[in-house]
Amino acid sequence: MRSKSRSLLMRRVALHAALTPLAIIWLFPLWMMFVFSTMSDYGIFSPDIVLWPSTGFIENFQNLQADTDFLRAMFISITVAVIYTILSVMLTSMAGWALARYHFKGRSVVIAIILGTITLPFAVVVIPQFIMVAREFKLANTWVALIVPPLFNSLGVLFMRQAFSMMPTELFDAARVEGVKEWRIFLHIALPLARPTMAALSIILFLASWNNYLWPLLINSKPGMMTAPVALGTLIGLTKVSWGGIMAGAVLLTAPILFVFIFLQRHFISGITAGAVK
Amino acid sequence: MGYRFLGATVSLVLLATGPAAAQSTEITIWSWNVAASALKSTLEGFNKKYPDIKVAVQDLGNDQVFDKSLAACAAGGDGLPDIVTIENFEAELFWNRFPDCFTDLTALGYTPKQQALFPEFKRTELEIDGTAYAMPWDSGPVAVFYRRDFYEKAGVDPTTIKTWDDFLAAGKKVMEVNPGTVMAQADFNGDSEWFRMLSNEQGCGYFSTDGQSITINQPACVATLDKIKQMKDAGIITAAIWDEKIQANTAGRTASQVFGAWYEGTIRSGSPDLAGKWGVYPMPSLTADGPRAANLGGSSLAISEVSENKEAAFKFVEYALTTNEGQVSMLKSFGLVPSLLSAIEDPFVKEKQAYWGDQAVWTDILSTLPKIKPARGTAFQADADGVYKAVQAKYFANGYPDAKTALDDAAKQIETATGLPIAE
Amino acid sequence: MRVHNRIAYAFLAPYLLIFATFWLWPIISSFLISFQNTRVNPWRFAPSMNWGRLVSDPAFYNALYNTLIILVIQVPVMIALATVMAVLLNSPLLKARPLYRFAFFAPVVVGEVAYAAVFRLMFSADFGIINKIIGTVGFAPVSWFDNGTAAMALVIMAVTWRWAGYNAIIILAGLQSIPGDVYEAATLDRVGKVQQFFHITLPLLKPIILFCIVLSVIGTMQLFAEPFLITNRGGPGGATETLGLLLYRQGFTSLNFGYASAIAYTIAGLAVAISLLNLFFGREAK
Repeated sequence: MRSKSRSLLMRRVALHAALTPLAIIWLFPLWMMFVFSTMSDYGIFSPDIVLWPSTGFIENFQNLQADTDFLRAMFISITVAVIYTILSVMLTSMAGWALARYHFKGRSVVIAIILGTITLPFAVVVIPQFIMVAREFKLANTWVALIVPPLFNSLGVLFMRQAFSMMPTELFDAARVEGVKEWRIFLHIALPLARPTMAALSIILFLASWNNYLWPLLINSKPGMMTAPVALGTLIGLTKVSWGGIMAGAVLLTAPILFVFIFLQRHFISGITAGAVK
Repeated sequence: MGYRFLGATVSLVLLATGPAAAQSTEITIWSWNVAASALKSTLEGFNKKYPDIKVAVQDLGNDQVFDKSLAACAAGGDGLPDIVTIENFEAELFWNRFPDCFTDLTALGYTPKQQALFPEFKRTELEIDGTAYAMPWDSGPVAVFYRRDFYEKAGVDPTTIKTWDDFLAAGKKVMEVNPGTVMAQADFNGDSEWFRMLSNEQGCGYFSTDGQSITINQPACVATLDKIKQMKDAGIITAAIWDEKIQANTAGRTASQVFGAWYEGTIRSGSPDLAGKWGVYPMPSLTADGPRAANLGGSSLAISEVSENKEAAFKFVEYALTTNEGQVSMLKSFGLVPSLLSAIEDPFVKEKQAYWGDQAVWTDILSTLPKIKPARGTAFQADADGVYKAVQAKYFANGYPDAKTALDDAAKQIETATGLPIAE
Repeated sequence: MRVHNRIAYAFLAPYLLIFATFWLWPIISSFLISFQNTRVNPWRFAPSMNWGRLVSDPAFYNALYNTLIILVIQVPVMIALATVMAVLLNSPLLKARPLYRFAFFAPVVVGEVAYAAVFRLMFSADFGIINKIIGTVGFAPVSWFDNGTAAMALVIMAVTWRWAGYNAIIILAGLQSIPGDVYEAATLDRVGKVQQFFHITLPLLKPIILFCIVLSVIGTMQLFAEPFLITNRGGPGGATETLGLLLYRQGFTSLNFGYASAIAYTIAGLAVAISLLNLFFGREAK
């Protein structure tokens, strides 16, 4: 008995000894981002190894805010990301449901569209798309242009399709026998069951929107309509770079998402389980 | 851009000069960091003259202005502001691909007399077949910015550095006496600035000045590349990207930087605590009697075809770029070197600059302007530059037997990419 | 599944509407553009110009080579690391599991601009914390942005840092779906832990690992942000230029849309081909 618990203890120690350094390496860049955001540029470029935060965050943030209206950009980013996430989860759920649960003419075409668009680099579509949205639809500098075109998200549809197709058919057949309409089955039976997947997808979509760079950069040229990554991008490569300021912006850009992730971790994990595991 | 446009302009000009024109208009400009700040510095003087024109300068960052202008031009101009800042070497790309995106300034009152206010080498890329797409703004006469204290400690007198060989020898001395310091830095990682500066000094470039053939493998270019490798192999130039250079300036890890004169503002505002320690001397040449003058960078202002306030926009461009008042205020505040010839005679230019150890740096730098040879960016600048950078990296890694073979290969690759012939 | 054309399309309608309105034409048009000479005004039909250039362009082969190097080195390393992370995270002996999970997953949420800025500061040759640490251990500093091999290593490290945790979480989910009695039986038969891993865990994880590989292949084929933002637009001298970056350079810097489109469709084709190959070999070995 003693030797068994002892070997268990040894294994526990070995496990943590392996995982802890790995976790430290993984957190290190994020920690340094935070440390840099509290330092003056002189501190950042001093020859000493500095691993501990200093006290300059507020000052760095003030520099950042003076260079670009970062708080407003954060507000725009949050608004766009929230609306986008809600709409996108709705759209991808509906499409995923249709693909998981019905046979219909042209199903293979729809699947081909979804798979084909995943592998196509966005950079090539962006110019014709910009031309179309700006010139034909006259939508440049609108919230619609910022939110609607990215709603097409094939990975999200695949994700939701997977979740729905894993649900037992009997569940829905029973409802159908009772004459429940299809959209009610979707809304009242399927969606509640898919909640974990939707939660996980929401995080991914929110992230995608929050970090989206090229499209918002091109489509919005009005002052005060910049999203946060675009605003931060204007500062990199400057002649007079305030690295502390950029880092303060990076921290502000990252911290809210990390915060949300801490609280939704459980949902997220179970959602990915539902999406990826057959 | 035919008669219809001209007619409209004329009638608008007539309207604008009439007494009923006291309406307030607002114009918008896209620019980036120091350039944007410099434009803002002219607004006070401009609004004294034209109180009814409100100017909004948007500081978007260099790459972003390019990307956004490109996308907007591709969309027929939708989304462009009234005025766009365009770097000279990228300029021809715009006129070539989107000839209708920017307006012909000559139709707005950019007269031959005004055109003659600027040096020839600044106008080659901006005017095509009589159409002036943009007005020259600043230029980048190349100079060596150096740390007086580091040179002095090594007993190096910068006035004796006339050739790159002198520079190399001086570098060895400076580095010996100042451990941890390098003589100069070059962005061998992501840029080609040393080759462009030194080859321009030798009258060579990626393309011929008429833009019709590839000249990158001409003897002067070969000699340039050869010399750069010599200096790199001797260890007096080390590789550093843009922000590493700025970091090195502040930290005192470099004894000199060779760059266009606009770098003055970068050093001054980037390392304010080093006032008095920096100085400037003219760039060395391959031979002692070489020209010791070259240009790197510089920008221009263009007015978009979709602008609804072209006249107001032109008034601003005219004030900022063709008057000494406008250009000198940008020189003072942010070190942007006027390409306006008359601005060179402004009293400010002769003033001693405290930051630069009381040296009259602008007199020294601007006196090289007349000796600068034109260099053509052409619409294929980006292609050629991409090829050159790859070849340079391979050559430095000893992937070619000599500079000639390297640049022959570069010429061949540029030929494939552009379809232009290689010059004999 | 039931045949229900009307109902199915009712559910698909909003999604397909957005596709038809905002995506269908750009996708078709960029394909057509790949057959045009876009360096003249107006553009002209020249079917072999861009595709012909592609097969003889050293820059294309360089980008293809770099992309494949990343594919061959980074993807297996990352997936192996992710599997190790997942197995360790799955151990019942582990304390503070959410904390570790958080550490590995956190990089995924960092935006490109923020992440690139931090890496550039950390790996700066003269001032970066990494070189300072290397120096205190007694090694010579590495010029991360100047040496082609080091720059490539940096890109591979950065991508691995960012995505290993994401894959680990997916694999972890797979591990948790393996019923425990499989291992109990093996333990009773005195099969060692390591043997269990190779003979039970890995085979059962195969579909999930394949899923991760396919996602990573697609991602790598389009890889853009790291070499663009961290190693200075594919520097030094194209040593880290990927296909995704070459496409961007041709499209946005040289304004050669036709050639950029040809590259884009090559990327998409390669991604599909490599993914199918993976799936094929994955099935075969069963």
